[in-house]
Amino acid sequence: MNKLKKYAVIDAHNHLSMDATMKLDRADAESRLQAADRLGIDKLCVSIPLTAPCPSPDEFIRANDAVVEGMRMNRRFLGFCFVNPGYQTEALREVERCIVKKKMTGIKLYHQYLICDPIMKSLMTLAAELGVPVLMHAGKCTDAETIKSQPLLSNAMHFLKAAEMFPETTLIQGHIGGGGDWEWNLRILEKRPPNVYIDTSGSVIDRGIVSKTIEALGIDHVLFATDGIFEEGVGKVIDAGLSESECRKLFRDNFQHILAMRKV
Amino acid sequence: MFFDVNTAIGHWPFRKLADNDASSLRKLLESHKITMAAVANINGIFYKNTQGANLELAEELASHRDFFTGIATLNPAYAVWERDLEYCVRTLGFKGLRLLPQYHNYPIFSAEAISIATAAAQLNIPILIPQMIVDKRQKHWMDVEKFVDVNELGKLCCKVPQAKFILTEYRISAKLIDENGKPLYPNLYIEISRLRSAYMQDLAKLAKALGSDHLLFGSGAPFKEISPAILKMQCADLSEREKAQINGLNAQLLFSL
Repeated sequence: MNKLKKYAVIDAHNHLSMDATMKLDRADAESRLQAADRLGIDKLCVSIPLTAPCPSPDEFIRANDAVVEGMRMNRRFLGFCFVNPGYQTEALREVERCIVKKKMTGIKLYHQYLICDPIMKSLMTLAAELGVPVLMHAGKCTDAETIKSQPLLSNAMHFLKAAEMFPETTLIQGHIGGGGDWEWNLRILEKRPPNVYIDTSGSVIDRGIVSKTIEALGIDHVLFATDGIFEEGVGKVIDAGLSESECRKLFRDNFQHILAMRKV
Repeated sequence: MFFDVNTAIGHWPFRKLADNDASSLRKLLESHKITMAAVANINGIFYKNTQGANLELAEELASHRDFFTGIATLNPAYAVWERDLEYCVRTLGFKGLRLLPQYHNYPIFSAEAISIATAAAQLNIPILIPQMIVDKRQKHWMDVEKFVDVNELGKLCCKVPQAKFILTEYRISAKLIDENGKPLYPNLYIEISRLRSAYMQDLAKLAKALGSDHLLFGSGAPFKEISPAILKMQCADLSEREKAQINGLNAQLLFSL
């Protein structure tokens, strides 16, 4: 595990949570840092996405305030700003606040809208202007329960469309192992849209999932992440048997490349 | 000693698996420093007469008896399972029984399950029950969507207290402890491959609650990568003694090795 420390690993997809008073759950944040220490992870990209169908601006601002609190608690937390794109004006204002004033690293979206929904246009344009990535919860789930509970869950086909609609915006498709038919997603992404990255996180650790992801997208477009599922996140990369140069790209350099695009 | 209680060989019809024969699987496990493993035949999930899968498994294991412990797959709702169970244990040398109620279409708490669990206890072999085979969110359209309900399994544990049950692929949280902090099912053992460890220390907490003699190392190979399970053990806040129990000593006792 400590072998990973030399890479100064960045976990591109992780989370924080709120306690009963809707403030940062500091014990949970501390537990994530301890887990990261044990597994050799340096920095964690964190957000608090709200999973309700239509979270209000007050709700997502409160969640983002808790992320800011986390960033203050420890500089290893890189904040991602969550918004509901349905509230267009408020969402844009909140992204400006979080990225410009609060120095967050990127934007996190959940399943309130598909990533290729026209309503995304102003948000994606702003992300491109600021030079920050948009990370979105994604998957190609095939079970009735998830299809019913997440009808607007974006999959690789939606990302392919969004890549064409928003060519200046850096898109990160969340957790290839987040549940769902990952092989289906990878076959779609074999077209390698230049502005689409995918992260390796999620509880699914089917053998070969990481090497097949790299085979489909190319090593430069795959980001290491855990989504808070730490041993699975690290272990499946270890078992992929990557070269030293591939490890450097996956664990850090690819994300650093995204960070270097920042304009503000 | 590293004993993996959760491995399989055979064909999974919904996704191509690698290293799913005994020789390849052994090499894979040994490359992760695993020294012994319990193994069942995936084909037994799908055959109506599962004894065919058990015979296939015995043939596969013939030159790997020093490494693999054979696990019979049987359906207590099918004809003459009693004879098959005897044959698997006494003639084929298998040391465990696997039940798959969600695939073989009977309730886990049922007369059939009680009968076969009683018979397994008489033969002094543990009963492995996977809560799932794969994550249902990626299920093939012909695969089942059901998990084993741990509360129903708990009823079976209580009904057949002399039997020992190993719940593999356990992820969905269920009540395993009573109000006084005592294990609800003293004859239920948990395989660790889907428990959180470094974050939240669920694995260590469960070991404290159930006793470290009630957890077992397992990987889920060749379906799943193996390193995650090894990392879980490395990251658990447990003593070396407790880890040694989970990594192999408990399995040695359960499988009478």
